[in-house]
Amino acid sequence: MKQNIRMALVGNPNAGKTTLFNTLTGARQHVGNYPGITVDYKEGSFTHNGQELTLTDLPGTYSLTAYSVEEVVTRDYLVNEKPQVVINIVDASNLERNLYLTTQFLELGCPLIIALNMIDTARDRGIEIKAEKLSDLLGVPVVPIIARSGKGTDELISQAILQTAQPWQPCDISYGEDLDETIIELIALISENNFLSHTYPSRFTAIKYLEHDDQILQKGQQEDSKTAALLEAKVTRVSDHLLKTLDAYPEAIIADHRYGYIKSILRQGVQTHSFDTDRLYTSDKIDKILTNRLLGPVIMLMILFGLYQFTFAWSELPVSWLGILFGWLSGQVDSLLPDGPVKSMLISGVINGMGGVLGFVPLIMFMFLGIAVLEDSGYLARVAFMMDRVFRIFGLHGSSVMPFIVSGGIAGGCAVPGVMATRTLRSPKERMATLLTVPFMNCGAKMPVIALLIGTFFSENKAMYMFSFTLISWMVALLAAKFLRSTVLKGAATPFVMELPPYRFPTLRGLAIHTWERTWQYIKKAGTVILGISILLWALMTYPGLPAASLADYEQQRQAITSSFTSDPLAESRSAAAEDISEGAQFLRQQILTIDNQQSEQALRNSFAGRIGIALEPVSRLAGFDWRTNIALVGGVAAKEVIISTLGTAYSMGKVEADASDSLGKQLSRDPNWNKVVAVAALIFIMFYAPCFVTVICIAKEAGHWGWALFSVSFNTFFAFLLATVVYQIGTWLG
Amino acid sequence: MTFKKLKHKCSCLADRVKNCTRKTVYPGQISPLSDSCRSGRLKICKVTGDRKLCSRMASLGVYPGEEIELLCPENGSQCLLKLQGTTLVLDSKTTRKILVTAA
Repeated sequence: MKQNIRMALVGNPNAGKTTLFNTLTGARQHVGNYPGITVDYKEGSFTHNGQELTLTDLPGTYSLTAYSVEEVVTRDYLVNEKPQVVINIVDASNLERNLYLTTQFLELGCPLIIALNMIDTARDRGIEIKAEKLSDLLGVPVVPIIARSGKGTDELISQAILQTAQPWQPCDISYGEDLDETIIELIALISENNFLSHTYPSRFTAIKYLEHDDQILQKGQQEDSKTAALLEAKVTRVSDHLLKTLDAYPEAIIADHRYGYIKSILRQGVQTHSFDTDRLYTSDKIDKILTNRLLGPVIMLMILFGLYQFTFAWSELPVSWLGILFGWLSGQVDSLLPDGPVKSMLISGVINGMGGVLGFVPLIMFMFLGIAVLEDSGYLARVAFMMDRVFRIFGLHGSSVMPFIVSGGIAGGCAVPGVMATRTLRSPKERMATLLTVPFMNCGAKMPVIALLIGTFFSENKAMYMFSFTLISWMVALLAAKFLRSTVLKGAATPFVMELPPYRFPTLRGLAIHTWERTWQYIKKAGTVILGISILLWALMTYPGLPAASLADYEQQRQAITSSFTSDPLAESRSAAAEDISEGAQFLRQQILTIDNQQSEQALRNSFAGRIGIALEPVSRLAGFDWRTNIALVGGVAAKEVIISTLGTAYSMGKVEADASDSLGKQLSRDPNWNKVVAVAALIFIMFYAPCFVTVICIAKEAGHWGWALFSVSFNTFFAFLLATVVYQIGTWLG
Repeated sequence: MTFKKLKHKCSCLADRVKNCTRKTVYPGQISPLSDSCRSGRLKICKVTGDRKLCSRMASLGVYPGEEIELLCPENGSQCLLKLQGTTLVLDSKTTRKILVTAA
């Protein structure tokens, strides 16, 4: 086997880098039809004609000047890791803008190959590109491809392998007399002092100094402050001169010349248009309606409400089938195994705990399918555009919208990628406000609990209630953000600039992959983490068990009842079915069942978890939560799915009135501690209290300080409890 | 809100209404993109503001001489425009710094 070749994939956002990465490596990295989905870089390996290759998918950037985190990540990777070849993926339907980044790769000097992607879209728009001519003029290979179908990718990789023999060779672009002279002076100074030469080519450093690149300026100061000061003085002199004579900064002149260079290439017959270049495409026409200032928000609310209707209407039947399946499974285990800890663990810990979570798989799957349609079609990016207006009012940034949506803005997301997606925000204060409020969204883990409580207490109009609770989560998150931005995170707003992707017809394959990968993640989590926590909580709810004296007391009560009956009803109550037995036997059975239930409830109260729940009850009662609910809510800090599994376990172990085969929903509706007001208070608390354990770790990592993670846990819990108490007290007072 | 701020807001609103009710767009007249209330083609004359914004706009293709199609005029916070085949969202802070004229 030949030596492994390292390749990097770079380009503008939404140019198709991750699609090409997945096509080549067979990976299933998430591809979204909105920019900025890749914030960090990902690696994948594949083999081409016996050659092993490692491909790195870098975040999409518009330039190599350190303006956002994506640009820093991409540039740092290229200069530090020095990949053997860089594949620059270029959107053929928007060649001029995409080549702006290419010019900077040429200046950096890395061995480059251009993948001219979406040539089919360009052709549909009447754009013809002569790849060979473009290649001759730029001096690098250009290969037309369609990343979605994989067309041209073999040729691309073959050409890329040949490029690895090329050394790093920076290319010179003229920036006009004034700047060219200064660049020569700067290069001389840089070379003389060996300034940053181990990382960047001299000309690249000179240009970045002229462009006032913060990161390079800082690095220069750290490495050699004397040379850095000399360079800065020269740059200031030429900047002042340009401002006086041309009323422009050097970076504006540089950009102007880069576009001039690109235009000079394209005008040499590289690109021809068959149609009028000014014409509006279907995508633009749709945007005129869907993003209209009045119609847009109305349509957006209708679409989101439709999504909830679809989810509940289609998932109702499969959810009930799964409920029956887990009920049957529970019955089978009950009849097959002898009484003891193993049977209790299997029924209460595994089947009722994990089954409660897995039972909602159809609902989660339909919700993910709906989200995948919105995302792949490009509509989610429009939602971000429209929501920006609202976000501004609450002190957040337009780029905060996507983290909110990813976290469960349209119920079903996850706060962990949502917290990570805040990296696209440049302002630390706006980022922190977003980071602390995204856990308020209804993530996929909260969905089953919300669906269960809504289905139990508000079954008449489930979709409407679900939609209302989604709106409440948005409202509370935005108000919390406003509070943070007006107090601890006060600061000025930063500009919002975003590129909207064109509308695309989602492919069946894409929808299937997106829906399945998210649903599988949910199932996997239920079968691993949630199963583990369920068993642990079962143990906490089972041990230390009742003292021997109490056990003997309950046994004595049972014997006292059975001894008062003759042998006939006793034998009958043990053998016959409920509907066939005599009145006396039925009474006996009821009496024994009552004692059994009292014993299980007492055992649960005496368990470690029960003691915690009871200890919290004096406070939690203010919001209407009993000790059993407290156990579930404490468990929910580990993962929100645990709330439902713990409730399932707690009710199956300490059942009071309900029948063993009843679903958790039915048991809750019969419990005198639960009613509509308690359900709303519980929903409010669950939606807004401490984020799950993984999210807390993620917040600490992203914020760079554990203080913020602890703030998130304490602030959210206090805030949620306050809201739940207000809801419960007012609700109870109103009756 | 102080009286001074209220007066300033009213005056801004009056300017916007005046601008939007104007029937003809004079060729050669240069105004900020944020003042454009109607969809249509415009030409970028200058990008003002700090050097970072100029550089950022240039990397997005927003630079003097380029023609843009305003798809959704600014509605209080941001506008939607088409440029070189892509659709861009710019907020009011940015559009105030882009000077345009009728194409």
